Amino acid sequence: MKFTWKIGGEAGFGILTSGLVFSKIANRLGYYTFDYIEYPSLIRGGHNALEVVVSDEEAHALKKDIDFLVCLNEDTYKHHKHRLTSQSHVLYDPDEFVLQEENFIKISVPFKKFLSDLKGLPVMKNTIAMGATLAILGSDLLLISEILEKQFIRKGQEVVDFNKKFAQLGYDHVKQNFPQQIIKDLTKKESEQKLVMSGNDAFCFGSIIADCRVYCAYPMTPSSTVLTTMAAWQEKTGIIVRHAEDEISVINTALGSSFAGVRSAVGTSGGGFALMVESISFAGIAEMPIVIFLAQRAGPATGMPTWTEQGDLLFAVHAGHGEFPKIVLAPGDIEEMVNLTARAFNLADIYQTPVIVMSDMFLSESHKSMAKKFIEELSTTFKIERGKTVNVPTEQKYLRYRVSGDGISERLIPGAKGHFYQVNSYEHVEDGHTTEDAQARRQQVEKRNRKWETYLAKDFEAPKIFGDMNSAEIVFVSWGSTKGPILEAQKMLASQRKNTAYIHFTHLYPMDKGVVVPLFPSGKRYVLVENNSHGQFGKLLLMETGIEIKEKLLKYDGRPFWPEEIVEYTNQHV
Amino acid sequence: MAGRNRRIHESTRMSTIQDFSGYAPTWCPGCGDWGIGIAIKTALVQMGLDPSSVMVIFGIGCSGNMNDFLNAYAIHSLHGRALPNAIGAKLANHKMPVVAVVGDGDCYGEGGNHFIHACRGNHDITVIVHDNGVYGLTTGQVAPTSQKGFKSKSTPSGIIETPINPLTLALTQGATYVAQTFAGNVNHVVEMIKEGIKHKGFSLINVLQPCVTFNKINTYKYYLQHSYKLPDEYKKDNLEEAMRKGNEMTTAEKFPLGILYQSHRQAFSDELPQLAQAALTEKQRFVNFENLYSDFL
Repeated sequence: MKFTWKIGGEAGFGILTSGLVFSKIANRLGYYTFDYIEYPSLIRGGHNALEVVVSDEEAHALKKDIDFLVCLNEDTYKHHKHRLTSQSHVLYDPDEFVLQEENFIKISVPFKKFLSDLKGLPVMKNTIAMGATLAILGSDLLLISEILEKQFIRKGQEVVDFNKKFAQLGYDHVKQNFPQQIIKDLTKKESEQKLVMSGNDAFCFGSIIADCRVYCAYPMTPSSTVLTTMAAWQEKTGIIVRHAEDEISVINTALGSSFAGVRSAVGTSGGGFALMVESISFAGIAEMPIVIFLAQRAGPATGMPTWTEQGDLLFAVHAGHGEFPKIVLAPGDIEEMVNLTARAFNLADIYQTPVIVMSDMFLSESHKSMAKKFIEELSTTFKIERGKTVNVPTEQKYLRYRVSGDGISERLIPGAKGHFYQVNSYEHVEDGHTTEDAQARRQQVEKRNRKWETYLAKDFEAPKIFGDMNSAEIVFVSWGSTKGPILEAQKMLASQRKNTAYIHFTHLYPMDKGVVVPLFPSGKRYVLVENNSHGQFGKLLLMETGIEIKEKLLKYDGRPFWPEEIVEYTNQHV
Repeated sequence: MAGRNRRIHESTRMSTIQDFSGYAPTWCPGCGDWGIGIAIKTALVQMGLDPSSVMVIFGIGCSGNMNDFLNAYAIHSLHGRALPNAIGAKLANHKMPVVAVVGDGDCYGEGGNHFIHACRGNHDITVIVHDNGVYGLTTGQVAPTSQKGFKSKSTPSGIIETPINPLTLALTQGATYVAQTFAGNVNHVVEMIKEGIKHKGFSLINVLQPCVTFNKINTYKYYLQHSYKLPDEYKKDNLEEAMRKGNEMTTAEKFPLGILYQSHRQAFSDELPQLAQAALTEKQRFVNFENLYSDFL
């Protein structure tokens, strides 16, 4: 069982909130969800929509056909009618607009009349819609009542009851007038307890699990909810959040706190990341750990702020003047986000260098079900590894940049009595003092470069392979949020008896050629799938390993991939 | 409140100037930086601090080059970025004094935005600005503090802009300690720095400093003629009076020396309940994840 429920209406009237409420209800009833929001870079006046894929097994991506479309205005119908089928249910208000077409199931709900009869606020249309939706899907009002209770109890029982009335109206209306259209797709079933989490939420969890103590940011879509979630968690977790004056200050604040000894992270999107680049180089030479969350959106410049793209990969890989080691990771879903984020903090401390965790709007803002026990386990088992970070030096004469075999020097937390040192943005000798000496320069360059060799030997992880490589004729190659659509496409292709495999990279840079090359046997049809127009990962793969993938499926209209279009492409281009 | 008690190093012996002395300075003979350098060490010694008990963040310029001449837990930062580094260091360990040593181009030019916001935040850091009205390290271009008409390599016909007024800028943006001093009077610089470090909140010490190589206008003689000490009866808690005095630098080429303004507003780190018990560096790891789940169910 799998269906898509979609709700749309004017921006600023609670569409996104009610979409999330629907996801939570579905999860509590025992189902898995994946959602996706569409909204313009406006607060009011644009069109907002949110769709939720509900399934009885884990959902990774969207589904193109809409099964239930809730139209809070006519625009919703106009924008999305091309995705309706003869089986689709369309909830709409005949007082709002007239539906001529007959090739789907019409469910009229008098939103306007209910509102004016009871003197409700426009935002309460959502509550009516939620009641009607739950009726159509054969559920009851128990959970929505609980959620309204939690949401409004601070305003008093009267407000709670008033809101509940609207849910009841929508529910009763459908029960009475459309009993033959009710599909029992959302009846309660047993399932593990799940959290409904976005990629940004997952970054927050990963950071807290890894004991991040300072998070610094300047709001920028689609990274902003990391800032707001972390800020809201300050009291509970003790983290300090600074919303600084600009992204230059953001990263330098975090570098200051990192220097002083606490795990520190920043988050931004492409434009803000551009402002941070000078200081990424600074962190590189001064060897200060920092985790940078880069949630991409469609660029260049201001681009399309609320839409998705994987357009900053090569920028991230090459960010920073001069040569220094840097690690770039890219999770493909929320579980990988929690894992890799927590790991990023360990890697930053171990290698004392910047670690970039890449996301994009599709991963950052879409919510997916996550087993609660997944995060419970990780939060209790995750081991903080700070590498050579010490409170007391192990050698008599402490040297911050001591030349070592693995390229890593002891990092002393400031405050230890009897010691002092400087970290330096200039080239330096072992004790941190500035130098322009040729031999000292070579030593320090080589020392920093050795950190990469150590990383490749100890911490680089090979890409994950989904499907059976031996029997696969078609092999998808990708990274990041395209994972979900590719996994779904693989299932669809399997049902057409097509054997596929998928090589999913998470440790993007640097790459171990010796590990990666054997994963690409000859005689297969390799297809590079990326949400950009340059095929940036393809270029990176060529640069790092010499592997060139000729066939590319690229999408760069600001929208994520449909699994269906991956299937269609695969079948058409044989 | 625990966060209010600044922990001064309790050593068995007082530290000495020698303890704080790193490499021999490379400043030009006669440069005002020499005076500032010795004043900073003297102030730290007199406050009972030692190189293990203070964090110093250096900007880039002749001033920032002090990184190699002063011993401390230090960052030699990027040009303009010392203040956010200092703010971050303070957030992580608010029990250690944090001093930023920067230049006028560094702090008022490249880092101007950071300066404004550090004042607003009343972050408990002490910012010592070497104000010599010229870019020395890059061999003599105009600075944001250069007087109108100043001829330099980047403004051969004289600068069109009027100089920034660091004192009134800091005052209007919420700094709670604003002082000015003159590198030619080391004892006075020492006093201003000590009072600045003791001050709980954002402290600015603008040090008028002759650049003997590239600034032939703002010389020792110039400052002796154009500066004056604020009188003993001067009330430093009066913002309007401070603004009037500070503004005379712009309108009348009169440079007040002393604490122009001091008020008491909670420092940023003291407003954070997270820091009420212990410094971030000292806290236990957060483990109570059950508290975070409710928003996701």
